[in-house]
Amino acid sequence: MPAEVLTPVTQALNDGTLTRPELKGLMKRSNGPAFRHLAIWITVLLATGFLIKMTLGTLWVWPAMFLHGIILVHHFSLQHECCHYTVFKTRWLNDFVGNLCGLIIMLPNRHFRYEHCDHHTYTQLHGDDPELIEPPKDLAGYFWYLSSIPYWKNKFSELFHHVLGKLSEEEQRFIPKEEYKTVIWEARLMSAFYMTLIVVCVVFSWWAPVWYWWLPVLMGEPVMRFIRMTEHVGKPCVRDMKENTRTNYVTRPMQFLCWNMNYHAEHHYASSVPFYALPSLHEKLKNIVQVEERGYLGAHIDILSQLTGRKNRSDALENPSNGT
Amino acid sequence: MARERSWQDVIAITDLLKGDVTPVTFGSRELAIFDTIQGITVSMARCTHGAANLCDGYFDGVNIECPLHQGLFDARSGEALAAPARVKLRMIEARERNGMVQIYI
Ligand code: FES
Repeated sequence: MPAEVLTPVTQALNDGTLTRPELKGLMKRSNGPAFRHLAIWITVLLATGFLIKMTLGTLWVWPAMFLHGIILVHHFSLQHECCHYTVFKTRWLNDFVGNLCGLIIMLPNRHFRYEHCDHHTYTQLHGDDPELIEPPKDLAGYFWYLSSIPYWKNKFSELFHHVLGKLSEEEQRFIPKEEYKTVIWEARLMSAFYMTLIVVCVVFSWWAPVWYWWLPVLMGEPVMRFIRMTEHVGKPCVRDMKENTRTNYVTRPMQFLCWNMNYHAEHHYASSVPFYALPSLHEKLKNIVQVEERGYLGAHIDILSQLTGRKNRSDALENPSNGT
Repeated sequence: MARERSWQDVIAITDLLKGDVTPVTFGSRELAIFDTIQGITVSMARCTHGAANLCDGYFDGVNIECPLHQGLFDARSGEALAAPARVKLRMIEARERNGMVQIYI
């Protein structure tokens, strides 16, 4: 029944938290902020890439790669925004950049788009939210998740299955039948691209992608896992957007890297609001959403307190998993 | 016996959001009144994908973007233009008369 579908933004309009002119003002689109953001983004990427070049052959190359990796894995934040069409006013630019980001971090864009749609429809609902990160059972599960090993295991297996033309039951639920082929072919194209590049590396003994791309991404992923956990983990698995999502106050550089996605609750409230307007939306919603003033670290203190029994677990009534 | 269809007033043109989409409840129906660059059009307000209210989405004068998953529809024809939207919007014949938006229903 349509009348029962009440998106958070409609709810916010109905209860007067946000007026329609305010919402419409916040939703206005422009390409300018994204181009400016991207100009700095590319400069930072070149700078950290240059650091790797300068330190190759020394032990300093490892911290340099880690730093570069932190920037690289944040292409997830940009891709995420692109899949909401809230980076560029020009719609196709969002598709183009989203696909490019997906190639950088091995996250096929079309598949992610459909998965993410269901994440927004069923945020934090067990069995329905395909992006739900289970709260780890204990500290071991917590560090296992942060290691990114389960994440990569899952991503490689997903890609492999898609290349073979297979979709899991869960995927068949969130991807419409008409789109199976697209998802399978994007995985095949992505894999073909990686395989070709690997062959080129081997044939020409050219290892730049390893030092400037793949190793840094692997090293940076735990940082992205750490950040992704702060969005919903430790919050109750309920439908209420005022309860199930955290907004984190973070430093300016981190806010820059995540394209304002630290305003996560606001984003879930009104996912059509462009990234650069989220701080303004926050001003309207800050009294009704969950705000973690201590930022990412504070969110992890909260999660760890729940894991170590110093605080009630948000999933006390549900079965905790081992964090995979 | 089915009621004869006729033109019905839904909203005064002066009450429309200029260049935007205005939500109107007509009986039990939720309608979206679009002030497009080619004139006023009317559709059922709920998205054909997941039933979000399109009136709360981003409208650029031609296309309406769903506020929940950013599916896209042409507000003049109702055509679904981008995933995850696939099914056309149900459009309702509309006209402007005596300062009012009327629909044929
Ligand atoms: S509810 Fe409109 S695109 Fe999904």
